[in-house]
Amino acid sequence: MENSTISKCTIAFGLALAIACVVNSLIVVAKEKSEAVMAGMKKITGHHWTTHSAIVVLLFLGVGALLTLVKGGRGIEMSASRLIGIVVSAVAGATLIIVGFYLFID
Amino acid sequence: MTEILLMTHVLFGVACMIAAVWLFVDVLQVSQANLARIQTISWFAAGFMWLAFLAGGYWYVIYYKVDKAIILKGPWPFAHNAIMETKEHLVIMLLLLTTYLPIAGSDNLVESKDARKLMLWVAAIVALLALAMDGEGGIIAMGVKVGLLPR
Repeated sequence: MENSTISKCTIAFGLALAIACVVNSLIVVAKEKSEAVMAGMKKITGHHWTTHSAIVVLLFLGVGALLTLVKGGRGIEMSASRLIGIVVSAVAGATLIIVGFYLFID
Repeated sequence: MTEILLMTHVLFGVACMIAAVWLFVDVLQVSQANLARIQTISWFAAGFMWLAFLAGGYWYVIYYKVDKAIILKGPWPFAHNAIMETKEHLVIMLLLLTTYLPIAGSDNLVESKDARKLMLWVAAIVALLALAMDGEGGIIAMGVKVGLLPR
């Protein structure tokens, strides 16, 4: 018999993925627009892109782990359709921000 | 040596894309017979992407400045200003998506229609984004080539 559940880890890391994708695109704008942000990111690891990647990956893993612990460890409840909508919107929106920024603004 | 590193990056990127397409097709036909394979391939997709990311990232940080200078002086400066700049940031999203594949793939895809739906969407996005990254890489390489051609 089919069920319609997805695990709390799948939901937690799916939401973390969406958040990290959007933050990724916002960091692009921040570092390209602010010399201070760019210099700061270069200083941390020696290259701005290495720092950028590390921040986003750690954000994904950290937020995902935290979201599995909410509600006394039961995690967030959400339908798969809603989660798919959130992930697809975040990836599409982040892509538009990054591509749009480099094509039209920078 | 740097060319071998770059080719390794491309090889693992293409392997990731193939794994994502394989996953998509296998999930459409999911049953107890192929469930273990789906979970294994999802780990391979993530592993290939991490290898591609680390190889490409190392090459980018250490060696790309030479190619960048050639591109910017040549007839295709957009190959860096637009294409490489977008690629180096979109690929971080691709890394997260592929890392998420084995997490989403750990649900019971046979019994849960929702788990299958999610896996199909993520695998499809990975495949399309990987294809886009491959295309962007080709344009960047061509930007170096046209920059070296006599005018």
